[in-house]
Amino acid sequence: MLRYAAQPDHPRLVLAAGVRTPFAKAGGRFAREDVAHLGSVVVRELLARTEVDPGSFDEVVAGCVGQPFDQANPGRVLALRAGIPEEVPARTVARNCASGFEAVTSAAANVLMGLGDRYLCVGVEVMSSYPLVFGRRATDWFARLNRAKTPLAKLAALAGFRPSMLAPRVALMEGLTDPVSGLIMGRTAELIAREWGVTREESDRFSLESHRRAQAARDGGRFDLETMPVLPLGARKQDHSLRHDDGIRDGQTLEALAKLPPYFEKPDGIVTVGSSSQITDGAVALILTTDRGAAEMGLEPLAAIRGWAWAGLDPARMGLGPVHATAEVLRATGLAMSDFDLIEINEAFAAQVLACQRAYASERYAREKLGLDHAVGELDLERTNVNGGAVALGHPVGATGARLLLTLAHELRLRDRELGLATLCIGGGQGGAVVLERL
Amino acid sequence: MDWDLLPLPENAPPPGSCVRIERPEPGLAVVVLDPPHRKIAVFDAPLLRDLEAAVSELEADRELRGVVLTGREPLSFAAGADVEAIARLDDPGVVRSIVGQVHALFRRIEDLEARTVAAVGGPVPGGAYEISLCCDLIVAADDPTTRIGLPEVKLGIVPGWGGSHRLPERIGVPAALNAILNGSLVPARVALRRGMVDRLTYPERLVEIASDLAMGREKRRRRPRGWKKWAVDKDPLALKLIASQARKQVLAKTHGHYPAPLAAVELVTRAPFASRAEAAEREAEAVAELATGKVCKSLVFLFFASEAAKKLGRLPDGERPRAHRNAAVVGAGVMGGGIASLLALKGMDTRLFDLSQDALDRSLWHHRADVEKQRRRRRLQRHEANAAIDRLTTSTETNGLKHRDFVLEAVAERMDVKKQVFATLAEKVPADCLLATNTSSLSVTEMSEAVPNPARFVGMHFFNPPKKMPLVEVVRGAHTSDETVAETAALALRLGKTPVVVADVAGFLVNRILGPYLDEAVCLFVDGADPARLDRAMLDFGMPMGPLRLLDEVGLDIAEHVSRTLFEAYGVRMTPCPAIPELMGPERLGVKTGRGFYRYPSAKGRKRPKPELMGDLARFQRGDAARGLSDEELVLRMVLVMVAEAARCLEEGVVETPELLDLATVFGTGFAPFRGGLLHYADDLGVDRVVRELERLSRAPDVARRPGGPERFAPPEWLRRKAEAGARIFDRP
Repeated sequence: MLRYAAQPDHPRLVLAAGVRTPFAKAGGRFAREDVAHLGSVVVRELLARTEVDPGSFDEVVAGCVGQPFDQANPGRVLALRAGIPEEVPARTVARNCASGFEAVTSAAANVLMGLGDRYLCVGVEVMSSYPLVFGRRATDWFARLNRAKTPLAKLAALAGFRPSMLAPRVALMEGLTDPVSGLIMGRTAELIAREWGVTREESDRFSLESHRRAQAARDGGRFDLETMPVLPLGARKQDHSLRHDDGIRDGQTLEALAKLPPYFEKPDGIVTVGSSSQITDGAVALILTTDRGAAEMGLEPLAAIRGWAWAGLDPARMGLGPVHATAEVLRATGLAMSDFDLIEINEAFAAQVLACQRAYASERYAREKLGLDHAVGELDLERTNVNGGAVALGHPVGATGARLLLTLAHELRLRDRELGLATLCIGGGQGGAVVLERL
Repeated sequence: MDWDLLPLPENAPPPGSCVRIERPEPGLAVVVLDPPHRKIAVFDAPLLRDLEAAVSELEADRELRGVVLTGREPLSFAAGADVEAIARLDDPGVVRSIVGQVHALFRRIEDLEARTVAAVGGPVPGGAYEISLCCDLIVAADDPTTRIGLPEVKLGIVPGWGGSHRLPERIGVPAALNAILNGSLVPARVALRRGMVDRLTYPERLVEIASDLAMGREKRRRRPRGWKKWAVDKDPLALKLIASQARKQVLAKTHGHYPAPLAAVELVTRAPFASRAEAAEREAEAVAELATGKVCKSLVFLFFASEAAKKLGRLPDGERPRAHRNAAVVGAGVMGGGIASLLALKGMDTRLFDLSQDALDRSLWHHRADVEKQRRRRRLQRHEANAAIDRLTTSTETNGLKHRDFVLEAVAERMDVKKQVFATLAEKVPADCLLATNTSSLSVTEMSEAVPNPARFVGMHFFNPPKKMPLVEVVRGAHTSDETVAETAALALRLGKTPVVVADVAGFLVNRILGPYLDEAVCLFVDGADPARLDRAMLDFGMPMGPLRLLDEVGLDIAEHVSRTLFEAYGVRMTPCPAIPELMGPERLGVKTGRGFYRYPSAKGRKRPKPELMGDLARFQRGDAARGLSDEELVLRMVLVMVAEAARCLEEGVVETPELLDLATVFGTGFAPFRGGLLHYADDLGVDRVVRELERLSRAPDVARRPGGPERFAPPEWLRRKAEAGARIFDRP
């Protein structure tokens, strides 16, 4: 099992600072952005706000799922483009939807090993730029054409062309499909919704609440603590900077949500586009260091990391990942669900969160799947996703994990609370959980 | 031959030391231009003399199969003709015979039996390229520093050592004409594409490859021009058409003030039907006439003055000041935004601040649009464009200043606001950060007192639009240190600007001189002069735009503010003409509101229609004293007020030398370059005539009636003394 809990004789890991771009619906305001640019923009802003010398970092770690084919190791590309000196190494990590988490936890593991103590962690995703790709048949045809040397052979190869070869494969859709179970993510949510008896109405109600909370947080200036304005690439002369997450739907109603047809499983499914996380672009940057490192950089840390865990489960039921990961992190830290003042759980799908809520409370599930003799605990929705979640804000897959940590850390400070849990489900059948603690 | 006609440099070395012949293998001679008295080889008298001896040696060598002509380093070939020496010649006959001698020498190189290969790199301008054109093949070092071309036209002459007939022969008439009229030096890859060179290679292997070519180990011939040669270069009708088109374009651009481009059109288009001797004869004739003419002298003067300005960017001990890694600009208006964009383009991480997010967004948009335009024109590659875009960030809060090397302020022109800005900035920047203000009218010294270390405070006055205007006034406040001045000048140079150091007086140098000029134009207009004629007259004089049109461009509100500042500082002679405040309205501020003296129609499609004079201008005219004045009289009045104010500037030591003042007037106001600058014009008129005219004008009835009129035209003491001594402002013409 992969779990860590802070020990008295370990260096104290802290998130020293962070900032993020607003999240923008894919194909929208950030449609002309690319990973390296959006990532570098957020890093530059963090460096300016914190006044940290860019050369003082030990490494840059970027989480990104859809790594652009023209930016190999995007972490390195974005670091250089952000003005981080070339002596500072950089790498890119991926753990699907938890890549933003992974950037932080892999950096944290390095610090614990004594491998440096100042990490710039980035989560970035530009889902707008996912390409359409030629299928295998077209690729083979191009290869044959390329190999043909004589004019006659060229002609013969050319004749092998069929219009159907032009049908592209959509990287976005195929990337969101689990290759082992063959299910697209929405169908894994349908599966657990069915198994745990989540209804369409519950799912819609949850989605509505996500929008309502996000709207209130935006209007109250809550997100201004963590976001920066961005004038996207490709902006026209009259365009303004994007200041807020643009997926939040003001005046969303239950009636409107109820009208939407099921998207993944027609006609009886319950998951609609209105109760799924939005396909979104965005980037987050965080500074991970130790309490001493933060003091040396002149930063007042946002929160300390109390522990984290990764867990695996059936890919077809990946949505329950948070339950497994939370069980692990509780085991490591000796905490109980009731100890958490605030919880951020990624809303991959409203139905998936609600299924998790039931699994968290189920003694049977804990016994059969988690090897526990009691239920994991209660997921109190009043303390969960208090500023809304991915259904309203969007889910730029590589960035989300880092966003959960940033939002949770700020919220703990704002409310002056002690402990918080950030957790998410991961395509491919995993869960991740991080416990943050107010310093 | 006798090279003594050409003035010898002071430190001329003994004969035989400037050119070396190496014999790395039998049958091959490597001729190295390596004059010990020059950092970069220049075709001056000693070098030509030794080159001639070397050519004689090669001619006598029966075993010779290949010759390589190269510089002392792969990226240091030669800098062309000795411009300084040529500019000192006044006798066309002497110039003609020197050029003739060079032609003869170059022809002997061309006629060598052995295969000749020029191996060039670094800057290859003018004469350096012309000698290469005499070789059978040209190999160039593929390096960013390699730049090749014939820039003579920019100095008011034509390529005179065979360039204007050998280049058309090599690359065809249209391309050659383009290259010569343009006068720009092109990178190695462009030169290869245009056929100006035959092959590129690594600088490290330049001589090796050239040797292979010379010895025939690598076979290569000049790319033939094929049918184009017959269809264009050898077709008299086509040539005539090209010539007349080119002449038309040149005249549209130069208003007939510059003879060199016209001469170049003649030479290049007639080259295909001339024998080598005829073409050379014509070239020599043209150069002799142009090089001894006024325009060439003026342009050469400006060239050397701007070269001299480049030396400003050195510390008192001769060292280079530190290079700034990053910068910040406060205020995202047209100036601030433009300067920030320029800083980012030139490689500095730049942060731009403004209270308004909208202003920041506009600046960022303009920056990206500019970068994108440069990328489309292939001046930047994709990754360079990306980097330039990345380097500019914006914020509504002043943060990220802890590691800044340079901060410039471009906020509203109010002393209290600026002082406030600097007090805030000074707390956040490192102690050695250079602090600069882009003010155009406020006291740098007073402003510097708002910061703890005023020695690091300087005025850096860019002109609008900052990306295009080549001048930067470096304003030395009372507390500014020499190091700070040098560092600021070095920064201006890095941004591609020409710095001129000026004293901290109202309007500094350029606006102080320009102010009375513009005001005089308005006075003449009020007194009944036809506005169209006013602008026309100054255009014909050689200004890039008429004074009323320029007022619109500056903005009537800004112009009014500046003239008020000048009046407060200098008193009655700067009394502003009341017409501007009358004319001005919230919707009538010049180009920015679409109306001023002219009406500026909004762009239809891509092209912006020409502005037209407003119909209601007669309403603002108050008399007819100036209606009957001739064009010459109008010009004289407007220019002489500038001369008078310039003389006062020199009197007060606002700028160190008349040379710098002229440089500033040309680069800052666009004052006719072919006249060599404001004071050169005064010299041409004659200082005593200037004084007499000023006296006459100060007593002219319409001037005497106006408040401050007589004082404005009163000849300054400095000019009077020069006139009494019968002296000129500049020693040589």
